[in-house]
Amino acid sequence: MTDSSLPKAFPKSLPRRGVNVAPEALIRLLVLLAGVALLVVGLLFPLFAMLVKSVQDRSGDFIGLANFIRYFQTPALVNSIANSLSVALMATVSVVSLAFLCAYGITRTCMPGKRLFRMLAILPILAPSLLPAISLVYLFGNQGFLRDVLAGHSIYGPIGIVMGMSFWIFPHALMLLTTALTNSDARLYEAAEALGTPKWRTFLTITLPGVRYGLISCLFVVFTLAITDFGVPKIIGGQFSVLATDVYRQVVGQQNFQMGAVVSVILLLPAVLSFIVDRWIQRRQVAQLSARAVPWQPTPSPLRDWTFALLCYAVAGIILLVIGTAVYASLIQFWPYNLSFTLQHYTFQGLGGGGWGAWFNSLKLAFSVALIGTLVIFFNAWLIEKSEGYRPLRQGLHFMAMLPMAVPGMVLGLAYIFFFNQAGNPLNWLYGTMAILVLNTLVHFYTVCHLTSVTALKQLDPEFEAVGASLKVPFWTTFSRVTLPVSLPAVLDISVYLFVNAMTTVSAVVFLYNSDTRLASVAVLHLDEAGYFASAAAMAVLIFLTSLVVKLLHAALTHVLLNNAQRWRQAG
Amino acid sequence: MQTTMTSLLTADSPTVMTQTTPHLCIEAVTKCFGSFTALDNISLTIKEGEFVCFLGPSGCGKTTLLRTIAGLARQTSGTLNQRGNDISTLPPQARDFGIVFQSYALFPNLTVFNNVAYGLRNRRVDRARINARVAELLALVNLSGSEQKYPAALSGGQQQRVALARALATEPGLLLLDEPLSALDARVRGHLRSQIKALQARLGVTTIMVTHDQEEALTMADRIVVMNHGVIEQVGTPAEIYHQPASAFVASFIGTMNFLDVAVHSAEQVTLAAVRLTCLPHCLPVGGAARLAVRPEAVALTRQVGGLAGEVTDIEFLGAFQRVTLQLAGANQTLLADVPSRDSTTLGLHMGQTLGIHLPAEAARLYPAGSNTL
Repeated sequence: MTDSSLPKAFPKSLPRRGVNVAPEALIRLLVLLAGVALLVVGLLFPLFAMLVKSVQDRSGDFIGLANFIRYFQTPALVNSIANSLSVALMATVSVVSLAFLCAYGITRTCMPGKRLFRMLAILPILAPSLLPAISLVYLFGNQGFLRDVLAGHSIYGPIGIVMGMSFWIFPHALMLLTTALTNSDARLYEAAEALGTPKWRTFLTITLPGVRYGLISCLFVVFTLAITDFGVPKIIGGQFSVLATDVYRQVVGQQNFQMGAVVSVILLLPAVLSFIVDRWIQRRQVAQLSARAVPWQPTPSPLRDWTFALLCYAVAGIILLVIGTAVYASLIQFWPYNLSFTLQHYTFQGLGGGGWGAWFNSLKLAFSVALIGTLVIFFNAWLIEKSEGYRPLRQGLHFMAMLPMAVPGMVLGLAYIFFFNQAGNPLNWLYGTMAILVLNTLVHFYTVCHLTSVTALKQLDPEFEAVGASLKVPFWTTFSRVTLPVSLPAVLDISVYLFVNAMTTVSAVVFLYNSDTRLASVAVLHLDEAGYFASAAAMAVLIFLTSLVVKLLHAALTHVLLNNAQRWRQAG
Repeated sequence: MQTTMTSLLTADSPTVMTQTTPHLCIEAVTKCFGSFTALDNISLTIKEGEFVCFLGPSGCGKTTLLRTIAGLARQTSGTLNQRGNDISTLPPQARDFGIVFQSYALFPNLTVFNNVAYGLRNRRVDRARINARVAELLALVNLSGSEQKYPAALSGGQQQRVALARALATEPGLLLLDEPLSALDARVRGHLRSQIKALQARLGVTTIMVTHDQEEALTMADRIVVMNHGVIEQVGTPAEIYHQPASAFVASFIGTMNFLDVAVHSAEQVTLAAVRLTCLPHCLPVGGAARLAVRPEAVALTRQVGGLAGEVTDIEFLGAFQRVTLQLAGANQTLLADVPSRDSTTLGLHMGQTLGIHLPAEAARLYPAGSNTL
């Protein structure tokens, strides 16, 4: 404010239009097209190839629904539908009711040790679904130390499948229900109390209606996870076949790709159905939220609090028992004959399956998916949510981003074989590389990351981009200087979600690896098939520990970042 | 401070001076969202250096018009011309404007300095100049010394001024303000109103402000554009808008207005409650119905009852004056009259009293029967 000559000269040198605008619009269009292309090639084309395959014979001629007719005339195959439905329903009922009680304990009581329980309850997510199955064999198998609990029933079959599924689906259900039960409005409870309403009636008229959408949504998510799961029935299913294992058996065992495609189409139906119901519910739920709600705070009530505490501790105890069993099994010589301690199962020497190489491959895959996937998915969500123009393209991209949730891993993996292994496909070179595993895993887990991104982006001021544009700043600068830093917690959540899933998934990638790209989760499967149970347990534990370490690093990193961000997040 | 003003004034010199050259010409702009017409054939010229307010109830299209000018929404048809350049199809990046949003949209992870410098960084201006420019702008909005604070540490009024400094940083020819004061409490609002107005007058930057607050528009604007249902109802100075509202809607939207149902007697006379009243010349059909609009403060009450009269049914105390509700004798209509406190003593104002009513012809306006009010 002293030198008046400076500002006078200043504006003259300002270029009025700093940015060349045409390239910016062009770049925007190109990245949008790239996002669309990714999902068209990575999702739509393969699914289409699979549908085509299901109506062809072995020589590739169109034969209408003949494959389907043959399927329904083969009792061994049709039985799987009933099998799948029954175990999925049993798992759904047991998981959702247990998770509801635990979530209620966390949100609506003053039980002690909530934080510890929540941490322990997340553990199953970090392990491949093969791990509980292996543990259950050790616990309840022919030489299991809890065998007598089953009173003569075999663990190999529906009982084992339901137990194994319940174990690894439980955290998903718990998270959904905890979120649903957290959204409470204290004013309603106060009104009920003021009117002298008994507790049970308050529960039926306020609590349950309040969580009904979350509960229904949870039921469908759990059902989908259960019916499409491959790992648990593969290990512990015995002669009890379900749809997911049928796909594997048809393709890998009998090389009958057409029938594999038919089973896939049938497996796709319940998943698509529950996807549609879930979307419909999500849309209804929006109107229910009230911005003025006052969160409800529980008051201590010893009997209730300790009842829920004991229940939750029991659940946590079972989780620790299952994981502990796998760890124990991997550390002893030969169950149950030689119980001396050894690390030899972690050497994986002389066994098929890849050993440490497979673990390194999994690590490579998980880091690649976490890095590439996070950037691609978040940026695509940003394009959909925060940019103007190309409306049909953006809506199409959003629709495709929602689809992967409805596509079971087995189906996606098989679809990739059909599409990328086709003679004459210019992308054929991808087949058998690490790149196809990255693409497949990224697409497989796309939807949850997309929804997380959209939620985070919706919380930002809608005018950031407009301000950037008015200041002639290119959109990528505003994206990297403002949008990305502000959304960092969500971005980190996405990356760790992708990492853990890439580490633990087995269903889609089981069709896509080759000898150079064996993965740890697939190795668990093969070691188990070959009868090396202790080594299979060791590999599963290795995966679990890797995920755990990354998860802890993520927690630490988030903590540090949020602490740094405190400066601007809660300044003043 | 004086130097700052002058330097900024010279800096923007082409924009100031000539009040008559058009800065922005809006020509037959229509904007449809599906079957809903948000802007219906809008034409408007905004002069260089002018402060224009778009005023109207929510949903009238004023924000849509502002966003169309900024290029944030694309018009369905029509053209926009800024300083002789056709900008109708240009994206926001290529247009010359700065904007302050209702939410301010300050970047929460950047300091005040980095927020204000945001648009300067990109122009590859060297660091020293950026520093000088930011310091100058912050001085202009009285926020010197807040450079290293984060937006969350500032009050609403301070955030608003940072947003203003950021919008002005790149020397835009046109400043767009989208309800810039509506998120603030009343006291801060009144203070900022005069600050923004003074700043605008000093810099001479052509400014368009969207508001639903008539008081804001009346006090700040050189010209007001009153909008309703996607069309412009009237364009005029605050005095014109207040005293000569062009439509019944404008009359009812700005200030308080009495509407009385009358019968047209001749080109200069109407009949109300069997009393013949003189009014300004009009061209409504003789013998038809019409609506006579008159502001409460223009109504004169007398103790002599002859001609139009009414009975006092309510008295509302409003400090400097009292608002009296009268039931017109011989007609089932009510009339509001503002009586200064001094006159109320002379009148001996009390409930149930019958008073004579005088409606001055020059203060009354006549609108067709059935015309829409607010």
